Amino acid sequence: MIMDEIDKKLLNILQKEFPLTEYPFAVVAEQCGIGEEEVLIRVGRLKKEGIIRRIGAVFDGAKLGRAGTLCAARVPEDKIGDFVRIINAEKGVTHNYRRRNEYNVWFTVNMATSDKLDEFLEHVKEKTGVTDILDMRAVKTYKIDASMEMVS
Amino acid sequence: METMNSAEKKIARAIADIPLVPSPFAEIAASCGLTGAGILQTSRELLQKGIMRRFGAVLHHSKAGFTKNALVVWSVQPSQTEKAGKIFASFSFISHCYERKPAFQNKYNLFTMLHTKDDNIAVIIDFLAEAINNRNFLILESLEEYKKTSPEYFND
Repeated sequence: MIMDEIDKKLLNILQKEFPLTEYPFAVVAEQCGIGEEEVLIRVGRLKKEGIIRRIGAVFDGAKLGRAGTLCAARVPEDKIGDFVRIINAEKGVTHNYRRRNEYNVWFTVNMATSDKLDEFLEHVKEKTGVTDILDMRAVKTYKIDASMEMVS
Repeated sequence: METMNSAEKKIARAIADIPLVPSPFAEIAASCGLTGAGILQTSRELLQKGIMRRFGAVLHHSKAGFTKNALVVWSVQPSQTEKAGKIFASFSFISHCYERKPAFQNKYNLFTMLHTKDDNIAVIIDFLAEAINNRNFLILESLEEYKKTSPEYFND
């Protein structure tokens, strides 16, 4: 999808300064110099195209006591399909990528407790036969900000 | 650790993906027996407490044009991680930066996630290496995206 300057400006405002007010899109419309209706049409299109995944709250999992980790698994080529299917079926798995390394499948897991996370990884090892899974927990967070500035 | 009461959790679930209508909070309120003003008030409180990191659009990076992402891991001396982490955190094209344990391959302890629009990843990494004066890194380029979703904190 081709995005024009207004779309990019909208994306920046919607990511960084979403107005928590009764009529947020009217406020954004004023900032962009277009009408509220046009904002809703443009945002609807950006969402339909999948560029916007959602507009909503982003919570701090660590502050809520949740347990998260980054795992790297060494998966034989012929087992990748099954392994990915089993991993992805767990809703606590939020990101999963194939990467260029002998540890070829990298995924993040988020669970209510550390015990549940351990249990999940044990379950995965048992079910897939893939036992070389690194569990690398964050001991210090320097940055989490997945918003992306759109520039022209 | 912060805790949320059941009313706050109910609101948290309701504001994960607001409807695209002129007054989204009033619409959400109607479906869960609250008021729009109440939802907004609670949202602001959660933001202020830092339980909510931000409120706004969450993009699908690759669809938004940030087609390249790389996990770059760095081997940094324990005495230098704090300084390096803070330098990395200041760059807009780094979305995540963590110190992790155990370190990958017993040495790569500082993890950075980079997002860019084109093939300039090597240039960016070079720039980062210079910024922390350390070329001891490993690039873990993404070859395929298998899954990308937001975590659900209030449903399990």
